[in-house]
Amino acid sequence: MNLWLELVVSGLITGGIYAVVAIGLNLQYGLMRIMNISHGEFLMLGAYLTWLARTVLHADPLAFLPVVALALFVAGLLVYRLCFYRITRTAPTVEVIEARSLLVGFGLMFLVQNAAYLAWGADLRGYSYLTDPVELLGVRFSANRLVVFAFAVGASLALLAVLRWTLLGKAVRAMMQSPTGAQLVGIDTARLHPVVFGAGLALAGVAGGLLSMIYEISPSMGEPYTVTALIVITLGGLGSALGSLLGGFLLGVIEALGMHFTSPSLKMLLSYSVLIAVLLLRPRGLFAR
Amino acid sequence: MSARSAILALLACAAVLAPLPWLLSDFLLSLALGCLMYVGLTVSWSMFCGVTNYLSLATAAFFGIGAYVTAWGADALPYALAVPLGGLIAAAFAALVGAAVLHLRGAYFAVITFGLGELVRLAITYYEKTYEGTVGRIIASQPEQYVVYLTVLVIALAAVGVAFAVRRSRLGLALAGIGADEERARTLGVNTRRIKVVAFSLSAFFAGALGAAMAVRWTYIDPPTVFNPFIGFQTVLIAMVGGAQTIVGPILSSIVFSLLTEFLRLRFPYAYLILLGTLLIVLVLYLPGGLASLWSRRGSVRA
Repeated sequence: MNLWLELVVSGLITGGIYAVVAIGLNLQYGLMRIMNISHGEFLMLGAYLTWLARTVLHADPLAFLPVVALALFVAGLLVYRLCFYRITRTAPTVEVIEARSLLVGFGLMFLVQNAAYLAWGADLRGYSYLTDPVELLGVRFSANRLVVFAFAVGASLALLAVLRWTLLGKAVRAMMQSPTGAQLVGIDTARLHPVVFGAGLALAGVAGGLLSMIYEISPSMGEPYTVTALIVITLGGLGSALGSLLGGFLLGVIEALGMHFTSPSLKMLLSYSVLIAVLLLRPRGLFAR
Repeated sequence: MSARSAILALLACAAVLAPLPWLLSDFLLSLALGCLMYVGLTVSWSMFCGVTNYLSLATAAFFGIGAYVTAWGADALPYALAVPLGGLIAAAFAALVGAAVLHLRGAYFAVITFGLGELVRLAITYYEKTYEGTVGRIIASQPEQYVVYLTVLVIALAAVGVAFAVRRSRLGLALAGIGADEERARTLGVNTRRIKVVAFSLSAFFAGALGAAMAVRWTYIDPPTVFNPFIGFQTVLIAMVGGAQTIVGPILSSIVFSLLTEFLRLRFPYAYLILLGTLLIVLVLYLPGGLASLWSRRGSVRA
């Protein structure tokens, strides 16, 4: 019984991070079919920013999270203006936007990842933060994992609330449903696009900052999270933030259970089987009505 | 280009390139080998992906499968047999996977095919570790260098020849139809699913054969080397830069990039990749048809 609980809870903790990354990617994709394959790279930047703040400025990583979010938001505005703006303006169809933004994403991935290698080297970096064990429901966890979980879920829920109950959120949801329709009812899509793109990257940065509190970081850490985020979006359905949250938890738990009962080296194999199964059986997502 | 002049051009290339092993130094020969390998990879990639706008990153998977056919069959299988077998197994794998995922488009297809390479790599690593107790394999019996060179030359030229032939065939027209508008192609009676699977596995055949042929160049192979995702990325990048809609574009940019890679990648690995990334972004934004579109644009102005 204890074992199952431990597995499920540690799956939920990983799943919380997955959810944050996936919601960010989903926001970007849902809006203009921008498939930002370099999403994980910005997660990595967030992790390195937090690590730098901790080791150089001796800042508290949690207190530093808003700074990371802001920095990546600004980076997002910049990346949008420099790369994706032109694509959305010049591409004739949505499909072309998707294809070109994918290629630009790959370019960004090369660019950012290797710039990080140049700047910080290939070594694993880390710091210890809140590593004291805490007992919860008879299972011991290190405190940092619980904090990370709380923040990941908090950030996701806050975003869901914004999307559901504010005018801004309503506008974003409208754009996700139909970019042209949103424009017709007077939503300033040209203003909102960069903001939402920036928000997506800010979420990636926050996820990276949180990850740096539990794991060691390296310039290539982002890639697997991009793939995972894509799997989560597929699970939860395109354009559905709540679906991403639930999908993240689900995938985290599936991975944790699967890894325990088979072998940790089969983790990716497992995620891919889930992805392919969902794509074949329920291509619109598990929670689609 | 007419069929006859295409055949003549291919034969001329073969006649010029075939004697190189006896004329060039070892270093220059290995450069030529690299160029030919990327010509084969990019032309066969564009054969399916360039025309249909499906972005496949599975090249590394096919290449690695081919390489492992050579590695596993090293003692029992002669080189002349391992190469086509590598291609066939890669093609069979592509057909199997293609049947499952080719109804996806865009980002999903790209990410799944990228994952494919990782998946096969992990599966082979796991298999080797658990059942064979090894990480990599040493390829003891190596053919002469000129044999490897000529084999790769034949595969590369065959890829170019097949690409020309496909373009002029019903298959090529159907693929172009799928690229322009898949719905419409299906409405007009094209069996899009079968066409896509056939073309996808045809292009995988060449990548697999190249992997099998090139595997002997490394005396020691392990999954991270032969399933290196960089092979897939570089293939896409080269084809896009050259102009994936054309055949000549990828050939020319393969030569340029193989030389660039050889000289820059080893000396400044990170800076080289940063450069590649930047180049890719700038090209997609300002010249989405690749360098070949410059040429054809000028040509059309002249005409």
